[in-house]
Amino acid sequence: MICRWCWSIYRSCRIFLVIEIRNVSKQFFSVQALHNVTLNIQRGEVVGLLGPNGAGKTTLFKLIAGLLHPDNGHIRPVNGRWPTIGYKPDRLLFPNRLRLSEYLAMMASLSGAPAEDREKAVFNALVQVDLVSHADKRIGDCSKGMRQRLGLAQALMGNPAVLLLDEPSNGLDPNGQAEMQGLIKKLHGAGKTILMSSHQLDEITAVCTHLIILNNGQVHYQNSMVEALTISPHTLIQADRDLSEIAHIVQAQHPEIQVQGSHIQLRGEAMQLRREILALLLQSQYDVLHVEQKHVTLAEIYAKAVR
Amino acid sequence: MIQRITVLTRYFSKSMLVSLSGMLYLLLTLAFWFVFFNPQQQTPEEAYYQLVIGGFGTAMAFLVTLSMAARANAAEHYPIMVRLQSRVEMVTAVLASSLILTVFYELVLALLALVNGPDLTLGHILELPPLWLAPMVVAAVLALHASDFITIGWSRIYVFGVLAILLFGQGVQNDSLASLSTSLSRYALNQGWVGISTRLDGYASTLSLTDENVVSRLFGFVFWPFQAMAEAISNGYFTANQALAPAILLLYATVLFLLAVDLFANKDLEFTE
Repeated sequence: MICRWCWSIYRSCRIFLVIEIRNVSKQFFSVQALHNVTLNIQRGEVVGLLGPNGAGKTTLFKLIAGLLHPDNGHIRPVNGRWPTIGYKPDRLLFPNRLRLSEYLAMMASLSGAPAEDREKAVFNALVQVDLVSHADKRIGDCSKGMRQRLGLAQALMGNPAVLLLDEPSNGLDPNGQAEMQGLIKKLHGAGKTILMSSHQLDEITAVCTHLIILNNGQVHYQNSMVEALTISPHTLIQADRDLSEIAHIVQAQHPEIQVQGSHIQLRGEAMQLRREILALLLQSQYDVLHVEQKHVTLAEIYAKAVR
Repeated sequence: MIQRITVLTRYFSKSMLVSLSGMLYLLLTLAFWFVFFNPQQQTPEEAYYQLVIGGFGTAMAFLVTLSMAARANAAEHYPIMVRLQSRVEMVTAVLASSLILTVFYELVLALLALVNGPDLTLGHILELPPLWLAPMVVAAVLALHASDFITIGWSRIYVFGVLAILLFGQGVQNDSLASLSTSLSRYALNQGWVGISTRLDGYASTLSLTDENVVSRLFGFVFWPFQAMAEAISNGYFTANQALAPAILLLYATVLFLLAVDLFANKDLEFTE
């Protein structure tokens, strides 16, 4: 009975899996780009891939896109059929002589769009990335921001189930970044599975449902964004002056209390002692300027993971 | 699949034709015409016309395919590769577009060469496609193996190494083989390998007595289709055996193409940026 129950849970989890990555390693000459990476990409997720330069993000994208072959392990679709993939590489390289509409029409043809739907598909993609007015412009004459949008537009051609976006906002101005984020959210709303990398933590926080941090070719952290940002909450108390005089008394209350300058940080069970600490401060003639319940930030998670 | 190959072939052909290298190849074609088929000189013979233009097409196929493969090996084609159901489609498109362009250049030369050129009969015109196309396809597929686009590790060294050995073997004479066997026999005797030495001596004397260059013929068999076609052109007619030559060349091309596809399918794509 228990076995059947477990099996049905396992099956229902597998239904949502799109791509399974198991123990994948990749080496380029003496450089170990990826080492024993295991990930599950679930349908409808927006997975944010973070990591320092050279962490293996682009290699992972290329492996999923089928451009590279893993040395060990496997990357395979869960239901036996590869989902259609749209890939936006990090480098904004395109055939410069083509016009935007020509290039997108070619990508639509390669994606199997019937001839009668091609024009509409190109128009829709251009509308989505706000490039309609530049449809007849040559790619060589486009700015970096326009090329970034074009990269996304070509990835959207043929309505792929999975989008691999390598640094989609790189080179965009703040408005462009906001628009790109809005677009990714819209695509997520439409049920697309998206794997994106970025060096902008705000962007990852804003659009991703899941977080993976790679460092030195290994997965150092993976979690859902909600869980990542709600675990390890802490309380921050700010006094009006330096607390070194009573630091030893405060810290004696609980080992998870930290005193630094005029700040006291309470973590874990120590958060229950908030009232006592406040009372102690008032008794010791300190004024309390600020009390705040805080959560861990993505920057803190990232710094810890890549340390 | 056909749709994707067609789209890619059109894209590669167009991009190459209007590129600087495309223009240079056109200039090369015109220069070739001026040198070999100068209309102010006497009218060339039909055999000369067929052979020289066929040779031009073969050399051009190699050059154009090398350029096309280098073009296809650019990082701008990563998104395209991801869209393809199979990597065969890309290799096929590169080969097809190279052949289309080569045929274009060859046709330009062939038409220009007709100015004050030979009067071709219908029979001669019908001979041209197999005569010109078969070596062109072989050269194009060999160029694929020579390119970074297809090659993995030492693969091009192996392919062209085998070709070099075959070419070298074709020129080997019995006398030189006999003297090599004699030298080896002496070396074996010095080492105390009497059995081997005796056997090598036997080979040396057999080779000295044989009139036919066995090794040369053995290796030369691979290049027989080229010789057969050249002979047929200069004779002005094909024997039944010689008529098979273009088909055998196409068979070589097919085997080499399958090898190229297999190499490309199993390689890590690291296109140039």
